[in-house]
Amino acid sequence: MSDQTITAHPPSSAKPARRPVKGIWRQGWQRFARSRTGMLGLILVLLVVATAVVGPFVAPFDPQDQSPMIDPGAKAPPSWVHPLGTDRMGYDVASRVIYGAPTALAVGLGAMSIASLIGVLVGGFAGYRGGTTDEVLMRFTDFFLVIPMFVVILAVIRLLGVAVVNTPFESVPYLNLGVIILLIGVFSWAPIARMTRAEFLRLKNQEFVEAARCIGATSGDILFRHILPNALPSLVVIVALGIGGAVLAEAMIGFLGFGDPAAVSWGQLLYFNYEALKVAPWASLSPGVAIFITVLGFNLLADGLTDAFNPRAKR
Amino acid sequence: MSSLATAKPTAAMSIDDRSMLTPPVHDLVRVENLRIQFPPWNAPVRIIEDVSFQVRAGETMGIVGESGSGKTLSSLAILNLLPPPARITGGRIMFDGEDLAAKSQGEMQKLRGRRLAMVFQNPGYSLNPLMTVGAQLGEILKVHEKMPRSMALQRVEELFRLVGITDPGSRLSQYPHEMSGGMKQRVCIARALLCNPALVLADEPTTALDVTIQAQILDLFEDLKARFGMSMIFVTHDMGVVARIADRITVMYAGQVCETGDKHAIFARPSHPYTQALLASTPRIDRRYAIDGEGRRERLPTVGRAVAPGQSLGGGCRFAGRCPEAAPECSRLVPQAAAIEPGRVVHCLKRGSAGVASHD
Amino acid sequence: MRIFVFLTRRMIFAALLMLGVSAAIFFLVNSIGNPIELMMAETPGMTGEVIDRMKAYYGLDHPPMTRYLLWLSRIAQLDFGTSIVYNQPVGSLIVTWGWQTLKIQLPAILIALAIAILFGVTAARRQHSRSDFAVMATALLGQSLPAFFLGILLIFIFSYSLDWLPSYGAYSTRNPLWGSPTLDALWHMVLPVAMLTFFNTATLTLLMRSNMVDVLKSDFIAAMRASGIPERRVIYVHALRAAFIPMLTYLGLLIGLMLGTAPVTESVFTWPGLGYLYISAIHQLDYPVIMGASAVIAFMLICTTLLTDVIYVLIDPRISLE
Ligand SMILES: Nc1ncnc2c1ncn2[C@@H]1O[C@H](COP(=O)(O)OP(=O)(O)O)[C@@H](O)[C@H]1O
Ligand code: SF4
Ligand SMILES: [Mg+2]
Repeated sequence: MSDQTITAHPPSSAKPARRPVKGIWRQGWQRFARSRTGMLGLILVLLVVATAVVGPFVAPFDPQDQSPMIDPGAKAPPSWVHPLGTDRMGYDVASRVIYGAPTALAVGLGAMSIASLIGVLVGGFAGYRGGTTDEVLMRFTDFFLVIPMFVVILAVIRLLGVAVVNTPFESVPYLNLGVIILLIGVFSWAPIARMTRAEFLRLKNQEFVEAARCIGATSGDILFRHILPNALPSLVVIVALGIGGAVLAEAMIGFLGFGDPAAVSWGQLLYFNYEALKVAPWASLSPGVAIFITVLGFNLLADGLTDAFNPRAKR
Repeated sequence: MSSLATAKPTAAMSIDDRSMLTPPVHDLVRVENLRIQFPPWNAPVRIIEDVSFQVRAGETMGIVGESGSGKTLSSLAILNLLPPPARITGGRIMFDGEDLAAKSQGEMQKLRGRRLAMVFQNPGYSLNPLMTVGAQLGEILKVHEKMPRSMALQRVEELFRLVGITDPGSRLSQYPHEMSGGMKQRVCIARALLCNPALVLADEPTTALDVTIQAQILDLFEDLKARFGMSMIFVTHDMGVVARIADRITVMYAGQVCETGDKHAIFARPSHPYTQALLASTPRIDRRYAIDGEGRRERLPTVGRAVAPGQSLGGGCRFAGRCPEAAPECSRLVPQAAAIEPGRVVHCLKRGSAGVASHD
Repeated sequence: MRIFVFLTRRMIFAALLMLGVSAAIFFLVNSIGNPIELMMAETPGMTGEVIDRMKAYYGLDHPPMTRYLLWLSRIAQLDFGTSIVYNQPVGSLIVTWGWQTLKIQLPAILIALAIAILFGVTAARRQHSRSDFAVMATALLGQSLPAFFLGILLIFIFSYSLDWLPSYGAYSTRNPLWGSPTLDALWHMVLPVAMLTFFNTATLTLLMRSNMVDVLKSDFIAAMRASGIPERRVIYVHALRAAFIPMLTYLGLLIGLMLGTAPVTESVFTWPGLGYLYISAIHQLDYPVIMGASAVIAFMLICTTLLTDVIYVLIDPRISLE
C-alpha cells in the first residue's frame, strides 16, 4: 500500500540551477526591515558612524585642549559651554567622547578585517579541502580558542611599551593602538573560521555549485563566485557581533590603563576619570554610555541580521 | 493493497445491511462540530472547521486525508493538547459522557496515558533520548497506578513481550538511540497500552517507517485490536492502510469532513467527489487506470501544506477548487451533514447537503 | 574500559594543548625582549653587573628555548618561581589571590544559572508573550552592557549615591562591619557578585530560553504530556534536562574564562584577586607572576573544556565514546 500516495509532487521542472545570491540579499533586507531590534541596531550604529565622521568638525573643543582647566576648572559639572562637563584633567568631556568614536570604529573595523581575513582563509580552506587539511586546521583553530586572549594582549602591550623606548618604533604614530587592533584581530578569528568552514561544507555539495562544476568552472571561480557569496550572510552576522566585541575589548584594555596614550579612547577616558567618579560622575558615565551604545548597536544589528538571513536559527 | 480486494461490493453490502438492523452501539467518543483556529484572533485562521465523527466502543475509526488536512491537530485536540497558539474555539469532544474540551489541564492529565493514549508519527522523536525506555515507561505507571519501580518494570517488560519486542528484559535498560525505528515504534505502542486505555489515538504510526516494517507494525495493530478490544482512532493518509485496519472511516479535506461511514460502504460506494478521487488514485488490482499522454498514471495534484491559510480556508466547500463537479454555489455555501445511508454522512451540495453561507 | 580510553585520549590532547598554549604565551612575551632588561630599563641607576646577577637569579640568562624548557619543567613540578615584587613563591601567591577570585566568580555563576533557568523557562513557556519579550529585551541589553561599566554604575548608585555598600576591597581595613569578619566579607562581596551575576545571566537566559523553546516543541515532550506525566515534571525535570545539555558548553566556557576576565572586574572593585595580582604584575613587570598567572589561566580554560567533554559523555547517552 505504500506505493500509493495522495500527495504526489508535480514533476520537478528542469530549470537551470541559478546562484541564489541576489535573492538572498533582497529577501534578507526585507526581513531585516521588519526586525525591530535590527532596525534599532542599525540606527545606533549609524549614529556612531555619523559621530565618527562628522564629529571632529563639530566638536566644540580640540581633544588635546586643556584650557577649560582654567575657566570652569577641572571636574566642572555640565554647562552650556561644556554639555557633559569637564574631566579630571580639564578636558571637555563631550569633545573627547566625540573623538572617541573614530577610535572605536577603527578598532572594531580594523580588528574584524584582520580576523575575517584569517578566519575566512583558514575556515574556507578547511571546509573546501576537507580531509586531513580540515582536521589539522580545525585543531589549530581550537588551539586559538583556548588562549586567554585578554590576558596575553595586556602583557604584550605593556612589554612592547617598554621595549620600543629609544628605538625608531617609538616615533611610529599610534603604534600602541595599531598593536592592540592587530592583537584583537589575531585572537578573534577562530569563531569566524569555524562558521566559514561549516558554511563551505554545507554549500560545496549544493546543486548550484555542482552545476557550476559541471560546466567546467575553475576552483577559484567556484570558491569566490559561487560559495563565498552564499556564505556571506552567515558571516556578516558573526562579524557584526565581532565588531561589538572588539570595541568592548579595546575599552577594557584602555580602562585597565594599557591603551594608546596618543589616541582618544572611551576606555581610557574611564581609566583617567574613574578615580573621580564620586565628584565628577559625568566624566566616567559619558564614555561608558558611549561604549554601551556602540556595543548594543552592533549586537542588535547582528540580531536583526540573524532574523534576516537565518530566521530558523532563532526562536 | 491485497486487503482492498476483500472489499468486494457484495460482502460490503451484506455487512452494511446487518449494521442497519442492529441497534445503535454505544459511542465512546463523539466529536461534535469541532473547530480549531489560529491567531490573529480578530481574523482567525480556521484550520479545523465543524468536524464531527463518532468512535464506538471497540471499533477503529480511520481518519484519512492528505497531509495538512488537519488530522494531527484533530487528534491532539481530543487530548486537549493543541500546540499553542492553536485553540479549540467551538464544538465538543464527548468521551464517557464528559466534554474533554471543557476539562482543565489537571483533569486531562489524569485521563491522558490512562484512559486516552497516543502513538505518534515519528518514533525517532517521540521517545525521550536521555532516558532508558524502561525508565520512561515506568514513570507513566508510577504516575497513574502508583506502582513501585520493580513492579512497573515488570509490567513494561510484559507489554514489550506483547508488542513483539525480542528479549524484552534487556531492552528495558536501552536508550532509544540504541534501537531501530520499528523497535522504537513498538516501544511507543507499548507505552500507549501501559494502562489499558479505552481509546488509542494512532497518528500515522507507520508513515515514518520502512516499507517492510510498516507491514509488521500494521499486523501488530490488528493483533492488539483483537486482543485488547480497545477503541482506536487511526490516522493516515493512506487508503490502503485504512482498508486494512479501520472499521469505519472519516475522510477529511483541508479541515472539513467530506464523509464518514462504514469502511465497506465507503469503499463500495464512495459518495463525496474527493473520496471518489482518492479511491480512483488508489492502486487496486480490480481497477484499470487512465494513463495520461506521457505514460504516467493520473494523480491528484498536491495540496499539502500549501492549503494557503486565510483564502482557501474561507467559506464554502474547501474542495471546490479541485472538485470536478463543483458548481458556483460550492465556493459560497458550506455543505452540511447529510445522512445518505444509516451511519453514513456526507458533506457535499451535490449529494443532498444543505448549504449554509459562511458566517463572515 | 571505553571510558578509560576516552579519558586518556582527551587528557593527552589537553596536555598537548597546554604545551602549545604555554609555548605561545612564552614566546610571544619573550619575543619582545629579555624581561629583566625590560624591567630594569624602567629602574634608573642599574649597573650591568646587577642586571646580570638578577638574570642569573631568576634563571633568565639562557637563550629563550632553554628557558622555556626550564620553565616548563619547573611548572610541571608546580614550581612557578619567585615573584620579583613580592619576593614570595608565585604558586602560593596564585593560590591566595586566586581564592579571592573564586569567592566572587563561583557564586555569581551559580546565582546566574538559577536566574537563567527561572526566567528562560518562563519566557519559553510563554513564547511571544509580553513577559517573554521583557525577558528577551532585558537580556539583550544586558549582553551589551559592558561588565565593567555596569560595575561602575553599581558603585555610583549603591556606594556613592546611596552609601549602602562598600565600593572596594574584600574586607574593611579597620573595623569589620557589625564586628563580624564573616559578615564583613560577605558585605563586600555583594557588589562584585551582583555585577558578575548580571553579566552571566544575560547570555545564560537567552540560551536557556532558546533551548527550552526548541525542546518544548519536540515530539517527546508532546508524548510525555500525552502519557499524562504532570506538567511540572515534564517542564522542570524532562524538558529542563534536555535544554540544559547544550548549555554545558557555554557554562564550561564561563567557568574556564572566569580567571581571564577577572582583571577587569577586580580593577573596578579593587578586589584582591588573581586578576588584580596579574594587572599589578604587568604594571610592575613582575615577570614570574605574569608567566605563572597566565599559565594558570590557560590551564583553567583547558581543564574546564576537558571537564565539559567528560560531563557530556556522562549525562548524554547519545554521545558515543568513539
Ligand atoms: N503552528 C501552526 N501555525 C499555523 N498553522 C499551522 C500550525 N500547525 C499546523 N498548522 C496548519 O494546520 C493544518 C493541519 O495540520 P496537521 O493537523 O498537522 O495536518 P495533518 O496531520 O493532516 O498532516 C496544516 O495545514 C497547517 O498549515
Ligand atoms: S460541495 Fe461542491 S465542490 Fe464540494 S465536493 Fe460537493 S460538488 Fe464538489
Ligand atoms: Mg500529521
